[in-house]
Amino acid sequence: MITIEQITQDVARLVVQASSHWSEDQVACWQEACGREELPRARWAMEQFLKNAEAADRDQSPLCDDTGTPHPFLEIGDEAVLPAGFLEAMEAGIRKGLNDLPARPMGVRGDDLERISQCRGLYDEPGMLMPAPTQIRRMPGSRIRLTVLMLGGGPEIRSKTQAIYHMHSYDHVFEEMIQWAIPQVAALGCQPCTLSFGLGRTAVEASSLSLEAIKNGRYDVQSDVEKRITDAVNAANIGPIGLGGKTSVLATFIKVGNMRASGFRVVSMRPHCCMESRKASWEWETKA
Amino acid sequence: MKKITIPFFDECELYPGDFVEVTGKIYCGRDAVLPHIVEMARGGTLAENGVDLNGALIFHTAVSCAGIAPTTTSKPEIEGSMVPLSEHGAKFHLGKGRISKETIEGLRKNHGYFLIVPPVAALLTAKMTSKRAVVHPEFGMEAFFEITVEDLPAIVAVAHGESIFAEQGEQG
Repeated sequence: MITIEQITQDVARLVVQASSHWSEDQVACWQEACGREELPRARWAMEQFLKNAEAADRDQSPLCDDTGTPHPFLEIGDEAVLPAGFLEAMEAGIRKGLNDLPARPMGVRGDDLERISQCRGLYDEPGMLMPAPTQIRRMPGSRIRLTVLMLGGGPEIRSKTQAIYHMHSYDHVFEEMIQWAIPQVAALGCQPCTLSFGLGRTAVEASSLSLEAIKNGRYDVQSDVEKRITDAVNAANIGPIGLGGKTSVLATFIKVGNMRASGFRVVSMRPHCCMESRKASWEWETKA
Repeated sequence: MKKITIPFFDECELYPGDFVEVTGKIYCGRDAVLPHIVEMARGGTLAENGVDLNGALIFHTAVSCAGIAPTTTSKPEIEGSMVPLSEHGAKFHLGKGRISKETIEGLRKNHGYFLIVPPVAALLTAKMTSKRAVVHPEFGMEAFFEITVEDLPAIVAVAHGESIFAEQGEQG
């Protein structure tokens, strides 16, 4: 039987892990991309990133000083029984994890208007950065799976959610997505990035699906369409931190949702920066 | 690899693509505080606030318990500070990402340089040996800090009106 205290401890550990650790498939993708770089300055930048990942993993310290905003993604088994107080315990765990790391203290003080202009300053406590609203999906079984994703600020300047007229051609939509990606990846400053796309019926749905795409994504699993987008952006010669070279995008993750009868599809793109994806998952069995 | 000691007063022989290592006391600031520093520079009140921009390097970063790493320089309040601060003596700006043609030209006129570095917080933070909030400490991590660094790595992105990004297609 899982306890509320255990949930808080587990979630705190997830936040630290997500912020300081790259997955094995992610590291392997980076190493392979670094090996392909011929331009000395591009290879230098890639080597810096790999050394940084080693140091952060060893010390359990932040990969980037922008430790990001926590985005909880919860999958609940159809037979699972969610313990009373689960979400409260999860939020307490996120706060504890941000303090344990410690994360950058980025929570903004004040009422609605004051928070917009940041006129009352910041909280000193890292844990006062509240998480984004929790995404929820169902899954088979009696377990609960939580993934915490840490999303940095830079990619948000380059993200885009907008309708694309599909003209009854998925090729047309994918070509448009490539045309979105190239200038935004070029302007990002934190290349190489990982692109995530959600395709849905509304802006809310498409954004949620884009997050699901990066949550599910493995760097060693790429569909033909995902590879096509990655290759097309890499052909633009933007390179690591914009220095030129072969690696502007490490991988692309796409999640196509349900569609409705319409001439448009809503597409949400996020170019996840060089430090991302930063994510970690944990499962709890809810059956006694 | 060229070594740079800050404050820097010598003639600079740096070109886009040069690798450098920075040692000395440097300033750190970003969106919240840099417009205030520009205002102080224009109002002639930097010295009374303990800031000397002559030969200085401005690192576009927060300074927090999570360390240091460059934020995106092209954000308007950051990029907008570069030319005015170079007009008042700052020699180097350290950040990441592309900057506009107008800023490149403004740096050229004032003999300023733009350096970039990957946002490798774990590595960069290990190069920092001291930190002190100099202006607006109430801004927390977004205050104007003076930090001491040793052999902080970077690459020259803009020098003498030329940009390392030009060959990838300059963006305004």
